[in-house]
Amino acid sequence: MDEEPERAKRWEGGYERTWEVLKEDESGSLKATVEEILFQSKRKRVIESHGQVRLGMMRHLYVVIDCSRSMEDQDLKPNRLTSTLKLMEAFVEEYFDQNPISQVGIIMTKNKRAEKLTDLAGNPKKHITALQKAVDSVCVGEPSLYNSLSLAVQTLKHMPGHTSREILIILSSLTTCDPANIYELIKTLKSLKVRVSVIGLSAEVRVCTVLTRETGGSYHVILDESHFKELLMLHVKPPPSSSASECSLIRMGFPQHTIASLSDQDAKPSFSMSHLDGGGGSGPGLSLGGYFCPQCHAKYTELPVECKVCGLTLVSAPHLARSFHHLFPLDAFTEIPEEEHHGDRFCQACQGELKDKSVFMCPSCHSVFCVECDLFIHDSLHCCPCCIHNQSGP
Amino acid sequence: MASDDDTNLLVIVVDVNPIWWGQQAQREPQFTLSKCLDAVMVMGNSHMAMTRTNKLAVIASHCQDSHFLYPSKNWKGGDGSGDDASSSGDGKYELLSVANNLIAEEIREVMSKSKGNSTDTMLAGSLAKALCSADDCALQYMNFMNVIFAAQKQSVLIDACVLDSDSGLLQQACDITGGLYLKIPQKVALAQYLLWVFLPDSEQRSQLVLPPPVHVDYRAACFCHRNLIEIGYVCSVCLSIFCNFSPICTTCETAFKIQLPTMVKAKKKKLKPMS
Repeated sequence: MDEEPERAKRWEGGYERTWEVLKEDESGSLKATVEEILFQSKRKRVIESHGQVRLGMMRHLYVVIDCSRSMEDQDLKPNRLTSTLKLMEAFVEEYFDQNPISQVGIIMTKNKRAEKLTDLAGNPKKHITALQKAVDSVCVGEPSLYNSLSLAVQTLKHMPGHTSREILIILSSLTTCDPANIYELIKTLKSLKVRVSVIGLSAEVRVCTVLTRETGGSYHVILDESHFKELLMLHVKPPPSSSASECSLIRMGFPQHTIASLSDQDAKPSFSMSHLDGGGGSGPGLSLGGYFCPQCHAKYTELPVECKVCGLTLVSAPHLARSFHHLFPLDAFTEIPEEEHHGDRFCQACQGELKDKSVFMCPSCHSVFCVECDLFIHDSLHCCPCCIHNQSGP
Repeated sequence: MASDDDTNLLVIVVDVNPIWWGQQAQREPQFTLSKCLDAVMVMGNSHMAMTRTNKLAVIASHCQDSHFLYPSKNWKGGDGSGDDASSSGDGKYELLSVANNLIAEEIREVMSKSKGNSTDTMLAGSLAKALCSADDCALQYMNFMNVIFAAQKQSVLIDACVLDSDSGLLQQACDITGGLYLKIPQKVALAQYLLWVFLPDSEQRSQLVLPPPVHVDYRAACFCHRNLIEIGYVCSVCLSIFCNFSPICTTCETAFKIQLPTMVKAKKKKLKPMS
């Protein structure tokens, strides 16, 4: 094993003087410091853009959730398992929002075994229903890192080369029970270009450090529930793709949505192909309209989906459009203290008065925005409202 | 029934493209921009009159710019202290008369200041500004889609009331966010359509019988010919869509690996001896 420079552990460092953060002003009030802290927390989620780095847009991610006895610990309310599953539901929603053409699968590990909760699929509903049902499962035994990794790799190794293969492990136990040498498995993972990241709920475990370092993933240990949520959301953004991933043209279909009404003569009710494996759930299986695969005319009720009959990936144009903002990220706005800004007293976006400590200016069109609009523009909107006007129309 | 502390914000974006309205005035003199704005003001007034907590914003979308007609930056507003322009003689609710006067004033300013020869309206920009205040083409297409997805995330409904020709982008916007798309058959009755179809908020719409949803064309257009295609090839790096296979992506200039079928060596089979 190659030696890496070990970071200094926290107990080896000196004392942290946390009381020095709070400073009083002349009258003895802490108001300025409190406002500063609130302001910084609003700005905390400013995204650092990677610049011109190729991102892995089509991702295959397996999430491994530890269901061992340590998950019954109550340091996260009501217990670690319930809190994890709840955060996972939010993660799945956000993941499909940012990566509409990617897929996710969930694996649970307990009792020295690993089993798949859901297969790799592009539909968020299936995963969310499975997660909701899993709240009742019993936490028993020890987790097995080796078994869960090899179960995930069995599917991931067949994925085409242009997609990114990732595994995210949520590990709360400090032990793992493996049937074989895990360092051999790590070598296999590295050769298959699988990136493994770990979120620890208890403490740092050396085998996870080695695992993530060798495969190029990240390893974090949570401090509390909000930190847990932040760490999970870090994995929603597409990671920079490794230089070894191939680029290829993927054949995709864009089916039309037919809405047939009862008065239509040719409308015939039919089953959707997703009902074949019993995944129909509630409601009648027969429906009049839907999406028809352009190659084999099999019917589906939702997109994106991979056609079971002919294997063509079916998406709609807005799904691809959702990923565009990753490819053309918006530059961060420059922060100017309020005293130095001599222009309008109004935010260009929401027309509200500028009363924060600093204003934000777009580097290309020089219009100013308030703190909330800056956050909204970078998180959700991904385009400057004033720059749009300066571009010539199509 | 809406709860008492819910504020409903209605943002009306009016397309005031001077070229189209000029041509329209010659085609149909009984329906001009001023009549359209009258209908918009009727709808705005009705919205504010329904509940005390309802709020209104009106944006005029122009060729190069979009301008907030109401609320205006220059209006310090609120209690109308000492402002005698706002009191009208007919006992109208003050907020409504202030709004009407402001809108009329601002639109006059906007129309007189218009310059430039571009004929397309910057709809994406006005929508973006509308979303920021609700806080609470190949490049305009991308910005437009970003705006629509942000609206869907914030649960903001986008409705479209189309006067002249169908717009695929607006149809997609209404479908994705859950709003209504309507192409008006008779323009002079604009106020009626606005009040009947678009005034009720999302909770009340489930109880009304409204025009049925239109068929939205979600097919993608290929980047090389702008044709609508049903099966295409997507570059895995930049997500641009092509109708035919080509070895190099024109947008990001990556060379693609061509998948060849694997060669299978012929195996010699040993013949089993016949017993």
